[in-house]
Amino acid sequence: MKTNLHFQDADAFYEQLLDAHTGLSREQSELLNARLILLLANQIGSKDVLAECLQAAKALPA
Amino acid sequence: MNTAWRDAAYTNGYEFTQGAGYELPEYPFVEPPELKRGEVLRHRVVIVGAGITGLTMACCLAKLGVPAVLLDEDNTVGVKGASSRGICYTQKSLEIFQRLGIYERIAAKGIQWSVGRTFAGQDEVYSFDLRQQSNFGLSAQPPFINIQQFYIEGYLVERIYGLGHVDLRWKSRVTGFQQHAGYATLVVDTPAGSYALEAEHVIDASGSHTPFHGWTGATMTSRRGDDRWCIADVRFKNHPPKERHTWIEAPFNGNRAVWQHLMADDVWRIDYQMEPNADPEYVSREDVVRERLRQQFGPEVEADAEIVWVGPYAYRSQCLDRLRIGSVFFMGDTAKIVSPFGARGGNTGVADADNLAWKLAAVLKGRAPASLLDSYHEERHEAAAQNLMVTNRTARFLRPADGMERTFRNAAISLARQYSFARPLINTGRMAMANNYTKSSVCDRSGGLSVQNVTFRWADNNRGTVNDLIEWADGDLLVLVFGDMSHAAAQRLRQLAGQAPVRCVQVVGPDTQPQAREHVRDPQGHLQGACHVFGHAWALVRPDGYLAATGESVDADLIQAIEQALGLTS
Repeated sequence: MKTNLHFQDADAFYEQLLDAHTGLSREQSELLNARLILLLANQIGSKDVLAECLQAAKALPA
Repeated sequence: MNTAWRDAAYTNGYEFTQGAGYELPEYPFVEPPELKRGEVLRHRVVIVGAGITGLTMACCLAKLGVPAVLLDEDNTVGVKGASSRGICYTQKSLEIFQRLGIYERIAAKGIQWSVGRTFAGQDEVYSFDLRQQSNFGLSAQPPFINIQQFYIEGYLVERIYGLGHVDLRWKSRVTGFQQHAGYATLVVDTPAGSYALEAEHVIDASGSHTPFHGWTGATMTSRRGDDRWCIADVRFKNHPPKERHTWIEAPFNGNRAVWQHLMADDVWRIDYQMEPNADPEYVSREDVVRERLRQQFGPEVEADAEIVWVGPYAYRSQCLDRLRIGSVFFMGDTAKIVSPFGARGGNTGVADADNLAWKLAAVLKGRAPASLLDSYHEERHEAAAQNLMVTNRTARFLRPADGMERTFRNAAISLARQYSFARPLINTGRMAMANNYTKSSVCDRSGGLSVQNVTFRWADNNRGTVNDLIEWADGDLLVLVFGDMSHAAAQRLRQLAGQAPVRCVQVVGPDTQPQAREHVRDPQGHLQGACHVFGHAWALVRPDGYLAATGESVDADLIQAIEQALGLTS
């Protein structure tokens, strides 16, 4: 799992992500997120990296 | 909870029978010697339950010439009047049935299929053709045959009567159990009265209602969900395609799942997912079932279809922590219960039986130490846990929890309609296959894999199969040596066959001169491929068609692998 910066343009992606959700109901947003997660997970592929990402996402900072 | 929903494993009851149903054979009750002579006899093996698992166990033992007693509380297979339970038998099960001598009857009666399609709404989102998957293509048996379970059970009964060695005791219900040092006492109720018998090995194949869990203090993990289904077995005059069709969201069933699968006698199993709070009596009422069929097949179904059997069911998942407690071995539904998705119930029962039978025979014939029997738990518990994991994943896809689980399913279905990568996420059941053994003390790391029943040529150029070799080995381990051998290796192999319970065969290509008297030819390399080896190699094949180990040269490693496979080193 990469924890250093890998985005080509982090600010642009963040903006695109927010724009994609603009005007959506909570349900629509949840579906969009779920579809996005599955699409991105397939880009990663590696089961070990995916498992690490899931663990990292669950572990909120203290 | 509404208790009228039967567990998946209990669906051998039925709510009503339409049309001819089935006429099932009845077998005679014969007064056992214990009652005639009024004494308690001790038996080496007593099997409880004449379902598909217990009968496979009995038939395997009969084939190996091991005497056993089989107790069943009924006097027929299936359930009187009508019954449908398992319908789908895997290549591995069919290979086992071929060894037992009933495959030809199954193939003649059953229906072969290899295409499965999955739909969401009107769209096909996923399909497979098992014949296109090379791993299924080489066996002498097809990927799957569908047939009503009671046919297989009936064939097994007749085969056991033909083979002898096993005493089939019908109308014999086990009502008491006591474990002693090295044996157990069973109390059996029959129409002619009760009697006690002693058993050194008790095989509990009596199904999900077994009393042996309580008697032995078996511990288990068990989970029950709220998913509810209702089967309609339907005989069509003009039948649907001979394919497995599954709908995740069927518009004709309130956007719930539907299964459509075929069996012998032009009977189709249509399995409808119901609302979790549905009333089982209502959903299985004839007019309600007919309305569901009309929704799915249109108004012409009225004249075209005859309802053979209807059964509402729920399922649970359950796995014992130990598959052996004292003298008692658990197999089939007494070992584990899975949801029906992927045909992982009956097929694993058959594999459980095939796994224990040769080990028991080897121990009782003095060819292996009793410790070999411990590997039954190691191997079949791993298989049970694997099948439980796989079927639970399917169950969760088919009945997602409200909230994010449903959201992710919607995401997966919508993506599957657009992109191929998402289609494998659609989980309507992963079809059963031979489980690998990775934790077995009697399998080397190079072994633990199933060997498909592929063909080769005997020395006289006639066609042979792996099952022929296993039959020839008659319960002993089979050593296959691929390629030419040094003089010393050939001599070691001859000595080995004289000293250990193994049969050795050299496997050569089309042009190689064989050194061993016992040799076969493998012109296309199918036998070598089935044994998962390349080039000069040996493969140690067990009577259940599993690899114990593979290696390169005929040396001490092979000797060690044989000792390990027989439980001599554990």
